[in-house]
Amino acid sequence: MGYLPCGIYHEYYKQDHAWWQTRFVYVKMVLLVLVLILFPYLVSPMWLSVAYTISYYILACMGVQLLIGYCGQITLGHAAFVAVGAYTSAMMVLFIPWPKLIVDWGLAYPISMIAAGIAAGMWSVLFGLPSARVKGFYLIMTTMAAQWITVPFIITQYVSRIGGRGHYFSLPPGTVKLGPWVIDSDVKVYYLSAALVVLLTLVMANLLRSKVGRAWIAIRDNDIAAETLGVNIVWYKLVAFFVAGFFAGIAGSFYVTALYFVSPEHYEWFFSLMWVGVILIGGVGSLHGTIFGSMFVVLVFKFLEMTIIPMTDMFPWFAMKLIYIKESAFGLAVVLFLLYEPNGLSYRYWQLKNYFNLWPFSY
Amino acid sequence: MTRNNETPADTPLLKVEDIHISFGGVAALTGVTFEVKGGEIFSLIGPNGSGKTVMMNCINGLYRPQKGNISFDGKLISGLSPHQRAEMGISRTFQKIELFSGMTVLDNIRLGRHIHLKSGILSSCLYVGKTAREEIESRKFIEEEIIDLLEIEHIRNHVTGMLPYGMQKRVELARALALNPKILLLDEPLAGLNLEEVEDMARFILDINEEKRWRVTCVLVEHDMGVVMDLSDRVMVLNFGEKIAEGIPHEIQDHPDVIKAYLGEVEELYVTRR
Repeated sequence: MGYLPCGIYHEYYKQDHAWWQTRFVYVKMVLLVLVLILFPYLVSPMWLSVAYTISYYILACMGVQLLIGYCGQITLGHAAFVAVGAYTSAMMVLFIPWPKLIVDWGLAYPISMIAAGIAAGMWSVLFGLPSARVKGFYLIMTTMAAQWITVPFIITQYVSRIGGRGHYFSLPPGTVKLGPWVIDSDVKVYYLSAALVVLLTLVMANLLRSKVGRAWIAIRDNDIAAETLGVNIVWYKLVAFFVAGFFAGIAGSFYVTALYFVSPEHYEWFFSLMWVGVILIGGVGSLHGTIFGSMFVVLVFKFLEMTIIPMTDMFPWFAMKLIYIKESAFGLAVVLFLLYEPNGLSYRYWQLKNYFNLWPFSY
Repeated sequence: MTRNNETPADTPLLKVEDIHISFGGVAALTGVTFEVKGGEIFSLIGPNGSGKTVMMNCINGLYRPQKGNISFDGKLISGLSPHQRAEMGISRTFQKIELFSGMTVLDNIRLGRHIHLKSGILSSCLYVGKTAREEIESRKFIEEEIIDLLEIEHIRNHVTGMLPYGMQKRVELARALALNPKILLLDEPLAGLNLEEVEDMARFILDINEEKRWRVTCVLVEHDMGVVMDLSDRVMVLNFGEKIAEGIPHEIQDHPDVIKAYLGEVEELYVTRR
């Protein structure tokens, strides 16, 4: 809970329920949207791919954050749901004989994106069903089962073989079409990703401040008390799994446009683990945390790439020693955050914000 | 807001018949039968381990009795799950505080309004129109009826995990009240409070029970005999899972079985003293 700046008071409940309660926050948000729009003109093209990778991480981690941070259902198999989303949308775009009208209007990709979300959501509910009975460690096992069953088994062994391709599906140029725009350049992918992140963050924030979100948080904090107050905990857990899966499906189906192909190795178990690490770094139980964590992790990876690759050119013997530098750096970051800032980056942001809100009377 | 408690004073609101429940070889309740009338404060007392909290959990649905029926407001509720019973108007507080420790006081109480909010998932995603209006209405109810009544204005934006114990007890009562219940099960609401807080809490319980606005029937489990005897309309005494007495406080105080249950046999007491 943040504090209002000195000298600002509310007179109506409506004001207190509003998201942006002061003019300063409005200006800040408008500036943020402007920066998002102008971003491709401000930086070199290299950073666009970084930006949409961050967006992909944010979309995927939002579901992890919902399950772990808000609903208390620990999941270690989120990459499976992202994979289901990616494969559903790619295969729908490729294999469904779309009527010409839909192709002309560019509706094939949006329709399959939503279908991918729903498919991933249903798949996630299927593996969330045990959460009605088991908690904690045992639930981790069932979500890990989701990963192992989905990606190495069903997708690699069966789905990838559809059409005799054996390894991956590639999307021919021009198939990913959103309305009048063909998504074929980094700039367009970036705009798509930014729009999705803004939209889905708004949806998630709205869910979290309404009845549904409170029920989720109540289940996290104390499920017995929640049940005695009229929350149907099984139903709300399954809703949480569905929404998390839906977000994962949208994330997967978005990333298809960036990669132009889908292949099982993008959805390995490491990604499931990493997204849990991302929310640990960003802050568990905070939407800001999802965004900060994703930015932190992707940027650290990028800087490592930028420093290590020239170094290995200079010292070839060095290259072999640094194969797993990304993974090691990530592990180190998680450990350091757990030791020195267990509340994550979002807590630091919150402290900073409150310092300025309360200034100069910070007692 | 309409008042829900128009049950005439004499008809039983809650009817518990012949409840048996045992955990392994321990019989926690054997053949307990009682009725709670609409509008009264009904107290359950008994020595430690006599089955008071088990009884509360049976009424509330957390435990399923192996035998016996519980009916509420004329309907059989033995087969329903806790959240269905909450929707019928049964609310409770806990002996050991069971707040949502990561949420603010306001959010805790808002969760108590859960069953009264009707907006679905899709409209919650957008948070416009009906959903937003509903939230404001519920906020208004919480601020004007509950927070004002229980005098917790100053802590409404605090995270409950950080509050002192007495305040947490009060927030728990507020949350149970937000459900707008017909019957309120209070499981040791006074345990661990200091004298001033006990007085406040007793006043709140009386307010909730007697004020025209609320008129909530209360089932009270408590060890503080002074408070129990002063507040209750009727008292039931349990000992080792069996009902040993029921009546108005005055009768219970002089009931030989009750004195025996609490103090033991008088002769024995003398023997051990010597």
